[in-house]
Amino acid sequence: MKKQALSVFYMFLITLFFASLVSAVKVLSEGKIQLNEAIKQQRIILRVLQIPVNDKAPDESVIRLFDMRVKAIEGGQKTLYVGYEEDGQTVQGYAFPVGGSGLWGPIEAMVGIDPQATKILGLAFYGHSETPGLGGRITERWFTDQFTGLPLRPIEGDQNIFYLKPEGTAEASNELDAITGATITSSSVEAFLNKELDNFLRNLWGQIERTK
Amino acid sequence: MPGPASKKEVFLTGLWKDNPVLRQVLGICSTLAVTNLMVNTLVMDAGLIFTVCMSSLTVSLLRKYTPMRIRMMVQTLIIASYVIIVDIMIKAYLPDISEALGPYVALIITNCIIMGRAEAFARHNPPLASFIDGLGMSLGYSLVLIAIALVREPLGFGTLLGFRVMPEGFVQWTVMIMAPGAFLTLGIMAWVWKYFWPQKEEKKG
Repeated sequence: MKKQALSVFYMFLITLFFASLVSAVKVLSEGKIQLNEAIKQQRIILRVLQIPVNDKAPDESVIRLFDMRVKAIEGGQKTLYVGYEEDGQTVQGYAFPVGGSGLWGPIEAMVGIDPQATKILGLAFYGHSETPGLGGRITERWFTDQFTGLPLRPIEGDQNIFYLKPEGTAEASNELDAITGATITSSSVEAFLNKELDNFLRNLWGQIERTK
Repeated sequence: MPGPASKKEVFLTGLWKDNPVLRQVLGICSTLAVTNLMVNTLVMDAGLIFTVCMSSLTVSLLRKYTPMRIRMMVQTLIIASYVIIVDIMIKAYLPDISEALGPYVALIITNCIIMGRAEAFARHNPPLASFIDGLGMSLGYSLVLIAIALVREPLGFGTLLGFRVMPEGFVQWTVMIMAPGAFLTLGIMAWVWKYFWPQKEEKKG
């Protein structure tokens, strides 16, 4: 009996010690981790709004630029980011997060739309667990850059906003190159992005129009 | 247990003779997962070296006080704590790599080498020897991972540490990026290793 009580007491002490140690490290690094994530998000938003920011620009200048040019509006389901031109008045575009499930886990992206919601300004992926070198290539510029300028209109019938075609076979202006060897990632990007863009045009865009 | 071995012997056993990946076939999950890029491999190695050394040291320091019946719980707690610390540190100071490694850092907890060393060595041996044993084992693991990454990254991506090493027009071997490439490379390595450095199979009790 005494032995058991001793074991419980010992385990309690050890747990207390290590839990405190881990908590201390966590508390000390929390600020830094959140800052990293916030800056990463800000870089992505600036990029999809076509507000030029150097990849190597120091964090402070990214924060300053973001504060000057972007305003976040908390929406019902998702945050809408409004990008302003250098005068701080004229709207340059809107950005909002989109996402869906990929091959191994959720894919998260940010999409930028021009002020009239007629075309895509930019697209960037900021969270995914796709296979490195295959589906993971969705973050590469050649893939995301082809979305820039893509014309937008709500889905009608079975006509999607855009299609991903095997590399080299894309012809129409709404046909883009898919990633070779990453069929599932490509088709899930195609599916959720079409759905989310359509959703934006049908719902959120109407609200923005009304507030103008 | 055999008689006390010298520190050098302990170190070399882990590094080479009883190499955890090639001989003991432990830690295979992470070996397969992270070796398609050298950068990820090096960070994984650093994380594992830290965790094995520190957990072996801690288990050894507590070996005379830890009640036999709850030792596994204590070991798991110690290992998990160090791994979470590594995970937080990488998130805070190497955010890009943290993203690339995804869940694998947290999965160091389930790397059998760590618990294996705690059970097989650290709980019977003094702290310094345990630390050296951990160092030998984790460096042995690292060596194998680096060797595999040296094959997989150039063939799969045409690069090494992000620099292009293959000639222009080289067709990337997609299989090397995926898990099968890792199985092939590891299998061939284990075969070559066992062919040149055969060892009499010991009877495990």
